[in-house]
Amino acid sequence: MTFFDLARKNAWRKPLRTVLLMVSIAVAFLIYGLTESFVNGTQGAAGASDDLLGVTSASGRTQPLPMAAMSRIAANPDVGAVGYVTRLRGFVGVEKNVVAISAADPDLLMAVNGKALGLTPTLINAVAEARDKVLVGRALAEAQGWVIGKRVTVTAFNMPRADGARDWRFEISGIFEGENAATDTYFMIARYDYVNAARARGKDMVDAFVVRPLAGVSSGTLATEIDALFANSPTPTRTQSERQFLDAFLRQYADIGLIVTLVVGAAFVTLLMIVVNTMVFAVRERRFEIGVLKTLGFSRLRITALILAESLFVFFIGGSLGLVLAKMATMLAGPELGLVFSGLVLAKALAIITVLGLATGALPAFNAMRTPIINAFRTR
Amino acid sequence: MTENIVPYIALAGVRKAYRIGGEMIPIFSGLDLAIPDGDFVAVMGPSGSGKSTLLNMLAGIDSLDAGTLRIGNSCLDQMGEAARAAWRAHNMGIVFQFYNLLPMLTAAENIELPLLLKPLSRKERYIRVEKVLDLVGLAGRERQYPALMSGGQQQRVGIARAIVSDPGLLLCDEPTGDLDRKSADEILDMLRFLNRELGKTIVMVTHDPQAALYACRTLHLDKGDFVEEKRAA
Repeated sequence: MTFFDLARKNAWRKPLRTVLLMVSIAVAFLIYGLTESFVNGTQGAAGASDDLLGVTSASGRTQPLPMAAMSRIAANPDVGAVGYVTRLRGFVGVEKNVVAISAADPDLLMAVNGKALGLTPTLINAVAEARDKVLVGRALAEAQGWVIGKRVTVTAFNMPRADGARDWRFEISGIFEGENAATDTYFMIARYDYVNAARARGKDMVDAFVVRPLAGVSSGTLATEIDALFANSPTPTRTQSERQFLDAFLRQYADIGLIVTLVVGAAFVTLLMIVVNTMVFAVRERRFEIGVLKTLGFSRLRITALILAESLFVFFIGGSLGLVLAKMATMLAGPELGLVFSGLVLAKALAIITVLGLATGALPAFNAMRTPIINAFRTR
Repeated sequence: MTENIVPYIALAGVRKAYRIGGEMIPIFSGLDLAIPDGDFVAVMGPSGSGKSTLLNMLAGIDSLDAGTLRIGNSCLDQMGEAARAAWRAHNMGIVFQFYNLLPMLTAAENIELPLLLKPLSRKERYIRVEKVLDLVGLAGRERQYPALMSGGQQQRVGIARAIVSDPGLLLCDEPTGDLDRKSADEILDMLRFLNRELGKTIVMVTHDPQAALYACRTLHLDKGDFVEEKRAA
């Protein structure tokens, strides 16, 4: 038997109570795991880079910028690569089956963000074969059941063709994987020249420029320089990192981070009260035995450690169960929900488990520590 | 109640009082006691005479108001709580009237408890536990839980737990108070064996005159003072 075995056996002396505690902890961490995965994965925020800059109109993201602005951006010596993108949103088949298309120059996109998106020369060559070719992200392809060679018609919400129709026809020439699981691949990459030539209005305009600073260049400084470049022009810009951009984008709808914090906070505060209350009673029931342990020579410090170890044990089992369930749920949910249970989510959860385990054990441990042996013996 | 040789346990001028309902009730008002190393002392006396208080002070779980208490080379009256806990872990074993075994631990695990406080490997702890289990006649019952054992067997586990760390002093608080005569005699035989063969110094509080016969001498405590001493024939 080890010291930990003793703590573990103490925790299991009333199995039903312990199991119920663990279940409540598991539920709390299931909620935490899912909500954090949602925040982490929504719109690819987990894979968003602080180094990649997006240049949009200062008047709003929906306002286009002239293509001509690219040469001025590229002239900045701190710029490593620059590309452009126009976004097309529409649906396939039924209106609720929404898809997004980024129309770009594939070569420039490869240079700016090819690594993160998982673009390869083979894919770029494939999309270069014809103007209506598209690359589809792995998440979107799996969700739609699309394969290479399939022809897809996207009915645009916001971009009519010059002939008045809203249907855009593409042929899938490749599937890009994304650098890792956190990368958003729930979209398509089309050729800008095709979209630009066929669209009814907004020709030679783009929604954003994508800028990769040179290695060692501060992205914040470069963003300021780019915005200064257009400060007095007819189209002033707002340059943000990809991460800032996505955060701001999400906040258009709601402060998801705050909502998650409130939901998880409420769950954890409730959990804390339940577990502290239960642990206090559990330890109070054992005051006599704690007196016995002290008589055998267990110091106040060891008694404190024993109670804390017991509390941590309950939290680690319950919390791990909840996190495993959360991980399974994110895997079952599929990529279209944007749930990403990353190592960061796991690390934060483990830290919270440790803190909560110690916090809930602190009060009963303190009570047990300071109870004089004589008083403990009077409780029987 | 003093001995001519240097005593193993020495109490001098011990005062102790409890506050009950705002009033101080004196238990000891200058108690002296000397017990030589290897002695087996039974302490008898009516309820409220101070037997348990004396045992608690010897165990270092109750403090003195005044006076000195030395056991071996340790002055317990000058120790803090942490030091007394460490002293108990290394120098003293205690046997309770109601065994006080932890119900969720097996016999072997209960016995192993004091060894968790010592820098011993798992194997060393196992060897010691097996040895004392054999000594108290419970070999083969390592995995049995207290609830499935008789009172006599539980008390044997209690004794095994008290001696597993090989302390010099054994304090027994009514060790046969919850046992039938046969089991009580077996336990007392075991205590006598520990005293005579292993040289343990034993202080046993008891109400049972027959239990006291196993001791080398019996001290009678009344109203906080020793009033009589009987030596075994």
